[in-house]
Amino acid sequence: MSSLVGFLSLVFAIGINFYLFLSRYIFKFQKQKFNLFIRFSSLLTLLSFFSLIYAYVVSDFSNYNVFQNSHSNKPLIYKISGTWGNHEGSMLLWLCILSIFSFFFSFTKNIEDNFQKLTLIIQAFLHILFGLFIVFTSNPFLVNSILVNEGLGLNPILQDPGLAVHPPILYAGYVGYSIVFSIAIAGLFQNTDDEWIYVAKKWSLISWTFLTGGIALGSYWAYYELGWGGWWFWDPVENISLMPWIAGLALVHSLMMVRGEQAIKKWIVFLSILCFSLSVFGTFLVRSGILTSVHSFAADASRGIFILLIFFIVTGFGFLVFLLKEPEKSNALNLLFINKVSALVINNILMIIATLTILLGTIYPIIIEVLYNKRISVGGPYFNSTVIPIMIPGFLLMSIAPILSWQTNKINNSKKYVLAFIILSVLVILQSYFLDFNTWGFVGLLLGFWIILASIIAIFSSYKIKINIKFFKIINPHVAHIGVGIAIIGITCSSVFQNELDFNLNEGDRFNVNGKTVLFEKIETTNEINFQSLRGKFLFDTGKNQSKEIEAGKNYYPVSKMITSEAGILHQWDKDIYFILGDQKNNEWFVKVLINPFVSFIWLGVIIMMYSGLIAVSRR
Amino acid sequence: MKLNPFFKFLNIAILSFIFFSLKIFAIENIDERVKNLTLELRCMTCQNQSIYDSDAEFSNDIKKIVKRKLQEGKSERDIKKFLVERYGEYILFRPLMNYSNIFLWSFPFILLIIGLFFVLIKTKTKKA
Repeated sequence: MSSLVGFLSLVFAIGINFYLFLSRYIFKFQKQKFNLFIRFSSLLTLLSFFSLIYAYVVSDFSNYNVFQNSHSNKPLIYKISGTWGNHEGSMLLWLCILSIFSFFFSFTKNIEDNFQKLTLIIQAFLHILFGLFIVFTSNPFLVNSILVNEGLGLNPILQDPGLAVHPPILYAGYVGYSIVFSIAIAGLFQNTDDEWIYVAKKWSLISWTFLTGGIALGSYWAYYELGWGGWWFWDPVENISLMPWIAGLALVHSLMMVRGEQAIKKWIVFLSILCFSLSVFGTFLVRSGILTSVHSFAADASRGIFILLIFFIVTGFGFLVFLLKEPEKSNALNLLFINKVSALVINNILMIIATLTILLGTIYPIIIEVLYNKRISVGGPYFNSTVIPIMIPGFLLMSIAPILSWQTNKINNSKKYVLAFIILSVLVILQSYFLDFNTWGFVGLLLGFWIILASIIAIFSSYKIKINIKFFKIINPHVAHIGVGIAIIGITCSSVFQNELDFNLNEGDRFNVNGKTVLFEKIETTNEINFQSLRGKFLFDTGKNQSKEIEAGKNYYPVSKMITSEAGILHQWDKDIYFILGDQKNNEWFVKVLINPFVSFIWLGVIIMMYSGLIAVSRR
Repeated sequence: MKLNPFFKFLNIAILSFIFFSLKIFAIENIDERVKNLTLELRCMTCQNQSIYDSDAEFSNDIKKIVKRKLQEGKSERDIKKFLVERYGEYILFRPLMNYSNIFLWSFPFILLIIGLFFVLIKTKTKKA
């Protein structure tokens, strides 16, 4: 029943959008009526999505999608998150978020009516494309042809609170760029005033903040759920989310630049189209299954080809409009050897090079397989030795960019910065000389600390310190950069200075980690609702007669016959102690302990970046 | 145009950086070498995991082979060549720098040069 409601409201929502799309050329709507239609279709899409959630919550196995991906004895949260834990449901979530963005956009004030209408028409067009894709190739409301009273279960690796909220937030970022895309195209068509740039800025900041949160949640999940001790693996799926993120970052910065320069409009439109194209392309790569192998694409070609078609329509349409209707030329860029504009332009170029390099590295194995039928890998080492060196000059520029002036190439208070940089480099040189030296560690620490230091000097020397909201809005760019600096320190320390200790232990053994005694208490097995767990219990002596309990082990999910590893992590502000329980051999358990210094800085940095993303939304 | 003191200092920083980089040529011990090499190899039975990070049987075998070959005095290049012959190029996370991959490796730097030219052409040298 709920499936029927869901399907009908989905089809009806697409129908309304069709009607609106055609109506632009047939007759003119009034604004009120038009917005009402848009909101109604959004609500219908939402209803469709909620009826799918309902089918999952009540474990309605007459729905084929629920039967394939759910199981009645799962905790409620994983029944709900199971809705988007599969291809069909996640595409419906995609569409649903697209509608929500249209819904909120229809309430935007102080923009021209026709401009708003045109933007929403383009949104309606996207809704139709993806709606038809769902209805024809990935319908989550299909009826199960056999009567069953139990489902096949959700992939256990997805049964985790982090991954339950990861897809909606990530998609909010991806799909948020659809609004930016629509605004940019509408801006090209109407070419009125620059008002659209401020609207675009707001929405691109919102999308970027969501995308940041989504990626961070994903990598945090990888950190504690995969149990490999790392949090970024240059996995194709990760790369795909990183591309629109970097392009979006370039977009946000370009939008800031408009305040000082008008000539950058063309570039902004280009980036807006690029961001959404990368989002759709990412959806294609992940959803077509082409990433794991070219051959798995053939198994489910209709879906892949359909999304590829959508990708070509969206990208082709976007860039065609861009070429035909490019914004009128205004005065040339005011690029001095080093002023704010040239710094931003250089950073934009570097970001785009990084994006394109990641893109090439991600699809290169596919190209080679199609051309030569040979499988090769492009993994972490490639990206580390190409993307990171490209970004380093960008990071250097970033540290001073906010204090550069728009007009001249004079840096205020340059002596202070030089002095600070000298002191800092001496400190870092001493640090790396007396502790173990590592090139990347040296560069990373210097960059990270320098960015933080320069931003703090800039805040203190350029503004009067006041504690009110306006002040926080003014120093926001510096705060964002401090966040980046903190994240760079965290990234550097946790990857370069990671320490690994291996043990073979019996229950009751004591061993030494970082000068602290750890007791391997016992192995415990328990039966949970939908899995069996095996846990090694450790007592970590934190000093002062206090100890912390750490559990590391594995879960066995009988429904899908899968084993997941569950790392035990002791979080401290300056390091994470990461326990992995291995296999038992000759009555001894293999235990791997990783000491990851300053991992918490990565998450702190990301939170600061998201915070300043939100603050920037409210700042005009 | 007179160089800004900031950039003057940047030069010094880069020079000292190069000086310190020389230290990486120092001899590492055998476990360190095994780690560095196996980090760049794909575990063929896992999902996008390096041999170093993986505890799968396949990875443990390869780790042993790599260690033995290093002890025999084989170079990293020889070991990689041996593994590629046995398992194909798929095992290498760092694609080979050969003619067929020339585009992959040169692409970022071509873009960088184009970008640099763009900035140089557009930059005004006189003060506004």
